Amino acid sequence: MLDAEKLLSDRWRHVVTKGDGTAVLPECGRPTVPGLVSERACAFYGARWMLAAIPDVIHLVHGPAGCAYFGSIVRRKSYRVFSTQLEERDIVFGAGEKLYRAVLEAVATDPGARAVLVYATCSAGLIGDDLDGICKRAARAVGRPVVPVNSPGFCGYSQAAGHDIAAGVLLEHFIGTGKAQEPIANGVNLLGEFDVMGDLREIERLLQQLGLRILCAFSGKAATTAMADAHRARLNIVHCRRTGQRLADAMQERFGTPQLKVSFFGFEETASALRSIGKFFGSAGVEEIVERGRREVEGAAPFLKKLAGKRVALFFGASRMGTMARAFAELGMEVVMIGSQFGCLEDYRDAGARVRAGTVLIDDPPEKELEEFIRKHMPHLFVGGTKEKYLATKLGVPFLVFPQETSCFAGFRGFVNLAREVAGLVGAPVWRLAGRLPEI
Amino acid sequence: MRLREIPTDGIPYDRLCVEKIPAAPEYIPRDPELVPASNRSVVINPNRICMPIGAMWAVLGIHRAIPFVQGAQGCTTYARYTFCRIFKEPATIATASFHEDAAVFGGRKNVVEGIRNLVVRYWPEVIGVVTTCSSEIMGDDMVSFLKEARARLSREIGKEKVEEISVVLINTPSFAGSHVEGYDRASRAFLESLATTRDVPSERVNIIPGMLYPGDIREIKHLLREMGVGGTILFDISDTLDAPLNPPQEIPYYPPGGTPVSGIRQMANARATFALQPHAGGSGARYLERKFGIPAFIGPVPIGVAATDAFLQNLSRITGREIPASLRDERGRLVDAMADTLHHTMMKRVAIFGDPDVVIGMTRFACELGMTPVAVSSGTPSRTFEGEIESIFREYRELFLAEPRVFNGGDLFEFEEYLKTLPRLDLILGHSKGVDISRELEVPLVRVGFPIYDRFGYQKKPVVGYHGAELLLYEIVNELLDYRYPDDRTQQL
Ligand code: SF4
Repeated sequence: MLDAEKLLSDRWRHVVTKGDGTAVLPECGRPTVPGLVSERACAFYGARWMLAAIPDVIHLVHGPAGCAYFGSIVRRKSYRVFSTQLEERDIVFGAGEKLYRAVLEAVATDPGARAVLVYATCSAGLIGDDLDGICKRAARAVGRPVVPVNSPGFCGYSQAAGHDIAAGVLLEHFIGTGKAQEPIANGVNLLGEFDVMGDLREIERLLQQLGLRILCAFSGKAATTAMADAHRARLNIVHCRRTGQRLADAMQERFGTPQLKVSFFGFEETASALRSIGKFFGSAGVEEIVERGRREVEGAAPFLKKLAGKRVALFFGASRMGTMARAFAELGMEVVMIGSQFGCLEDYRDAGARVRAGTVLIDDPPEKELEEFIRKHMPHLFVGGTKEKYLATKLGVPFLVFPQETSCFAGFRGFVNLAREVAGLVGAPVWRLAGRLPEI
Repeated sequence: MRLREIPTDGIPYDRLCVEKIPAAPEYIPRDPELVPASNRSVVINPNRICMPIGAMWAVLGIHRAIPFVQGAQGCTTYARYTFCRIFKEPATIATASFHEDAAVFGGRKNVVEGIRNLVVRYWPEVIGVVTTCSSEIMGDDMVSFLKEARARLSREIGKEKVEEISVVLINTPSFAGSHVEGYDRASRAFLESLATTRDVPSERVNIIPGMLYPGDIREIKHLLREMGVGGTILFDISDTLDAPLNPPQEIPYYPPGGTPVSGIRQMANARATFALQPHAGGSGARYLERKFGIPAFIGPVPIGVAATDAFLQNLSRITGREIPASLRDERGRLVDAMADTLHHTMMKRVAIFGDPDVVIGMTRFACELGMTPVAVSSGTPSRTFEGEIESIFREYRELFLAEPRVFNGGDLFEFEEYLKTLPRLDLILGHSKGVDISRELEVPLVRVGFPIYDRFGYQKKPVVGYHGAELLLYEIVNELLDYRYPDDRTQQL
């Protein structure tokens, strides 16, 4: 636990320790306190994170150069970005006409695009142009959908608001717009799967063994044509609740597509994911697949020896907390902290149920609190995003960036990769050389 | 990748190399009307970032300073992410956390509460308040908000403590300019609010480096040391954004180094100011000249032989110090390396893009190497850029050069499309955003400038000074060799 008296009064409710049997949960879903070094991003970021990988549309950022530049490097990749690059005169005199022309020109330079996504950022949101009207007019002119993504950075409290906005856009304009109606018997969608470092390929391989086909993964594999047919899936598999739940619920309501919330991280989670999906489809041979997985996972054994009893702190986007806590427990590690930037109560309840007493649960921690936690508890490993990485390493703590940077972590094979990588990080000579205290 | 045979006869020298057969020869023609950025409203692949990030960079170069960004969370987070990726260092930047209520009612509450929370958590010595497009559009009256914030803090923690903290306001509406201008405004804002009195004139010089990496700043310090000149570097990120790993560290973690506030105050007493990049830091130097008559040397950034010569000569003239033999030797080693590799660099056709001052410096150095710049692009539009490039070309006219195409403020789409129309290109000099162009054109990219986030070590490796130029030359030559003679392992040099 962090020293409550050192936390300002506006923060202490956000940090709790799991007691024996008690169900305290951190307060969450609140605005970030001003003046902190927040790890949260903006709604625009969230929307970009969701939509960036859609390949066959034009992504047009309606905002100043900064948003456009930043919007081109999300997900640690580089994407082509179109922008209106607002300037002073646009702010003063309005930018509607400029946007209209920009859409036409963008389509003229990239005529193969099937739609245009127009992201409105802070300044576009503040100058109050009629975004919807302009997009409608432009859509008529270019003969394809021009879709406003209304995601000014100040919307909501974090990037989560952007995930919702993006989900809304997908539902309204892309999902299920295809003509064909009859369901595809072995078709599934994967919601909240972004295909980081080959995760999607590994999940696809497992589902194929069940005889299933992924029609669409949001948004690791989400061309507009695939999305148009997404409603024909027999099942929606929700992999990340924070980015997928809204899609799942809406599709259930609209098309009657049932949903299953699963995770493919860790052996047990993957096995139970396969079991429940297999049960849904009445597939035979699930246990053989799991058995094969068990043998594959044995490849992790030499690494697990090194990890037994090591303490790990986990800091994620949101709903992966619980399942990842379980995966790290399978590595033989002791989870001592679990936190997220924008988890909801359900996420914390989930996570809280899967960790031991004494684990700190922390919501929206600013940099300073992470720093204090590290200093006080000196975990053997910290897991989080790029922004937190360098702080931890400066304090002598090994760090795993998640979503991962090197190899796939999903499924059985991914679990071996995870074990290898974590063992490599924790036992690396550099920490001894750096004089890390206390000694491992 | 396939290679053509090495040609043997009847061809001009600049063709004497193994030619690559492009992997994807099909070229998608674009509507020529829409290629020039000036004909379009839409920008495709921007070649610049916005003002606040330049100001944040500057503030991070001050000892125990934290930028406070008056805007929504993303502006801060994106910048932190960008810095982390470039420097591989933590970047502590506080956000005012605008939500809908701030967008409707203005950001007063966020400033007053935010400054207070920042102070009681971090006890910084300096807070650089950076505005964004949202706060500027809403018309936040930052001066009075900051007064109120100070008053509240005084009540809570005492007046003396508050007085120890310098708060500097930098107005950076992101729609009004690029990161280069953000840095420039920060240089003026810091000097105007801290370097206010000239009392005991000293022999020291001021250096405002512009957006140069820690390795460059170390190199500049090295030059000053060799010259025996004392200098104050404004926004010295050489240690704050390249700190050693020496745990255990103090909490809150402040990286060592950075320009101390006392140092900035003393800049009013200096002998002269060198703003190495006219577009990024020139305003600060001009302020000191106007206000205290401190002579300002503005540019050129010391990339390459002549520009480094000029920097040292000016330094020598104003301080009366001789340029020492050690530096002459450094220069000699650089020129020696240039002579040794001339047959590989001469007549190579190169395209250069990035921030205006760096592009100007790189263009001059490329000419010094006997290369032919065929296209240069400044992401930030500039009034002087074209003139500077032209004058470099006048200087080297007697070589063999045709005028290069100058892009003043366009985007990377325009640049790329133009490069595609060229009969031949050997090398691209620019930042990480050029990777896609390099891949598409199958022309090697040597990374220089801001930002470089996809390779390691560039932030520590200088390009300025004789030594920096030598390192850059190695990279250029090796890149050309790797590309043109990848499987010929003998006698390449
Ligand atoms: S907070 Fe607003 S201005 Fe900043 S990056 Fe996000 S959308 Fe753009």
